[in-house]
Amino acid sequence: MKRTPKWSFFIVAILIAVLSFTALFGVYTRYGDRVDTVIRGVDGIRWGIDIRGGVDVTFGPVDEKIEVSATQLEGVKTIIEQRLVSKNITDYEAYTDLANKQVIVRFPWASTTETPEEAVAEIGQTAMLEFHIGSETDDKGKPTGALVLDGDDIESAEAGQNQDENGNLEYVVQLKLKDSGKKAFSDATKQQAEKGTISIWLDDEMISNPSVKNHIANGQAYINGMESVEAAKELAALITSGALPFEIEAKSLGSISPTMGSNALFAMGIAAIIAMVLVVALMIGIYRLPGLVASIALCGQMAATIAAVSGYFAVFDSFTMTLPGIAGVILSIGMGVDCNVITAESVRDELRAGKTIDSAIRSGSKNSFGAVFDGNITVLIVAAVLMGVFGSSNSLFGFLFSWLPVSTTGSVYAFGYTLLIGVFTNFIFGVWLSRVMLRSVSRLKIFRKPWFYGGDR
Amino acid sequence: MKKNFDFVGHLKTFLIISGAIIVVGILMNIIFGTKMDVAFKGGTQLRYSYEVQPDLDKLETAAKEILGQNAEASLDEVNNTTVVSVTLPSEISTEQQDAFTQKLEKDFKDSKLTNFSSNTLSASMGLKFFLRCILAVVIAAALLLVYVGFRFRKIGGLSAGFAALIALVHDLVIVYFSFVIFRLELNENFMAVMLTILGYSLNDTIVIFDRIRSNSRKMNAPLDEVVNLSLNQCLRRTIVTAVTTCVAIGTVAVVALVMHVDSIISFALPMLLGSISGCYSTVALSAPIWVRWFKKDVKA
Repeated sequence: MKRTPKWSFFIVAILIAVLSFTALFGVYTRYGDRVDTVIRGVDGIRWGIDIRGGVDVTFGPVDEKIEVSATQLEGVKTIIEQRLVSKNITDYEAYTDLANKQVIVRFPWASTTETPEEAVAEIGQTAMLEFHIGSETDDKGKPTGALVLDGDDIESAEAGQNQDENGNLEYVVQLKLKDSGKKAFSDATKQQAEKGTISIWLDDEMISNPSVKNHIANGQAYINGMESVEAAKELAALITSGALPFEIEAKSLGSISPTMGSNALFAMGIAAIIAMVLVVALMIGIYRLPGLVASIALCGQMAATIAAVSGYFAVFDSFTMTLPGIAGVILSIGMGVDCNVITAESVRDELRAGKTIDSAIRSGSKNSFGAVFDGNITVLIVAAVLMGVFGSSNSLFGFLFSWLPVSTTGSVYAFGYTLLIGVFTNFIFGVWLSRVMLRSVSRLKIFRKPWFYGGDR
Repeated sequence: MKKNFDFVGHLKTFLIISGAIIVVGILMNIIFGTKMDVAFKGGTQLRYSYEVQPDLDKLETAAKEILGQNAEASLDEVNNTTVVSVTLPSEISTEQQDAFTQKLEKDFKDSKLTNFSSNTLSASMGLKFFLRCILAVVIAAALLLVYVGFRFRKIGGLSAGFAALIALVHDLVIVYFSFVIFRLELNENFMAVMLTILGYSLNDTIVIFDRIRSNSRKMNAPLDEVVNLSLNQCLRRTIVTAVTTCVAIGTVAVVALVMHVDSIISFALPMLLGSISGCYSTVALSAPIWVRWFKKDVKA
C-alpha cells in the first residue's frame, strides 16, 4: 500500500483553515466605492422568518366582488408556496382567510438586488400563459388570433439557451407540452409554417412573437427573447407553478418581528462557539491525537455546511436557514462526531490488541467503515424522502414524488437539505480527510508512541 | 478482563422502565392535553396601531384574562405603520373581540390602541400537512426496511430493520411526551426536534447491528452472547457520542436559559431528552428486542 506522505496533514489542515475562514467572513473585492462579493460569508445567509423576521403580505382578489371558493383560495395558497420555494425561500407561513377572501403570506427577507415589493409583485403574478396564432389585437390590446395553447397544456418549463437566426446565443424558456397541447401545437405550426407567427402572451401582455419556420410535431416549444438567464429562470418557474385561478394583488405589505425573539440568533451563535470548544476539548481529552484530527475535520465539516447554506460563491443563491435547518446542522455535526468516535475507538481497540500503530490505523479505519457507511446511508434515505415529499416538484428529489398532489412545506425541506449536506460532508471530512490526516500525522517522529492513539504506553 | 453487562437478560427491566415512562406520558397527556401552535390548528390575528408602544407582556396577560387563551404579542410593521399583533390559538367571536378591544382601550389608555385589522387564520399546516407526514413516514420506513434488509441479510436483516424502527418510535414518543410534560406548544420546534431524533436514533442503532453482523461472522456462540458482546464493545462509543451530543445541546439550553430566549429552551430541552432516549433505546431496546422477539427459535 502506498504510504501517505507526511505533508498531507499540513496541506489538508491549511485547506480546512482557508475554507473555514472564507466561509465565515467571505471574500470581497473593493474597487473604489464598489464592493463586490466573491465569496459569501455567514452574514450573507438568508435567515428564516423565525430567526430574523421578514415580510408580511396579504393577497386578495383584484375584483373584490368575485365569488371565491375554499378550494380556489387553497389553490392560490399552494401556487404562492411553490413560487416561494422556487425562489429558494423555503421558510414561510401561509394562511388562508376565507371570510376576507385573503391569503396571508409571511416570508424572510435578505437584502439582495431585489426589493420586497418586486418579489411580492412576482409572487402575486397571475401567470396566465397563452399562445395565439398571429399577433393581431383588438382595440383593447387583447389577442384576436385563435388560441393554440394555454398554461394547462404545459408539462414543464425550463430555462435554456438557443441560437437565433443570426447565430447569436439567446436565452429561452423551453416548454415540454402535454399530449393535449402536442396536437394543437402541431396543427398550428403546420398551418403557420414559413408564413406566419405564433404570439406568446403572459397575463395579456405579448412577450414574444416568433415566426414559425417548420412544422413542430414533437411537442417541444420554446419562448425566445428572454433578457437574461435570470429572466428565463423566473418565467420558467412561474409557468411550472401554474396560473392562479383569479387575479390577485397585495392588499397590504409590511414587516414582522422574528417569532423566536430578537436575540435568538445571537444566543445560538454564542452557544455554537461554546459547544464547539467543549466538543473539541472532549474529543482531544478522550482520543488524544485522533481527537485532534477529528476536531480539525469537524471544523472543516462545519465550514462546508455553512458554505452550502450561504451559497459560498456569490453566483449561487443563499438557502433559507430556519430552525429545522439548524437542527439538521446539529444532527450532521453529531453524526460527524460519531463517525470520528467510531474510527478512533476502532484504532484504540486494535492497538490494545497488540498491533503496531500503522497496522492499527489501517485495520481500524477499515473495520469501522461499514458502521459509518450504513449509519449515514440510512440517514441519507430519510433526508431524501423528506426533501422529496415536502419539496416542490422541481426541487431535488421532488420528481420522484411528482405524482403527489401539490403541497410544499419549506421548513421540513430545509431540514432535509442540511441533513443531505451533512451526509456528504461526513464522507468527505469525517471519513476521507480525517483518515488521510491521521495516516499522515502518524508518520511524524514525535507521534510514534501508541499513547497518542489511546494505547497504554 | 472487564465483565460484560448482560443487556439481553435485562430486557424485561428495560421494557418495564420504558413502559412506565410511556404510561406516565399518556396520563400527563390526558390531564394536560396537547398545546398546538396556530400553524397547526389555525387561529385569530388582531392588529392594533398605537401611539405609545404598549408592554407586550401586559397585553398577553390581558388577552388571557378576557379571552382565556394564551396569546402571543409582537411588534410588526404594515404599510409603513407600526402595529402590535396579537395572535390567538383559536377563533373568537365578534363579541369576544369587542370585549377585548374595549379592555385594551381602557387598560392601555396612554398607548391609544386602535383596531387595525383582524383575520381568521386557517391552519397553515393542517390536515394536508399531517397526511404528508404520514406518507413520508411510510415511504421512509419502507425504504429503510429494504436497505437494512439487504445490507444485513446475513443476520436476517428485515427483523433488524423492524427492531430499529421500534427503537425509533420509542424515541419519538419520548420527544412528544417531553413536549406534553413541559407544557410546550407543538410548533416548528417540535418538528425540528422530531426530525433530529429520527436521524440520531437510526444512526445510533444501525452501528450496533453492524457490530453484531461482523461479530456473528467471527464467533460461534449463541446469538444472545454475540449481541451482548457487541453491545459492550460499542458501549464506549455509544456513551462518548451521547455525552458529546448532550454536552453540545446542553450548552445551547444553558445559554438560552441565561439569555432568556424561551424559544430556544423549548427546542433544546426536548432534544436533550430525545438524545438520551436515543442512546438508551440503542443499547437497552433495539438489539435485545431483536434477539428476544424476532430470533427466539434461532440457536446460532
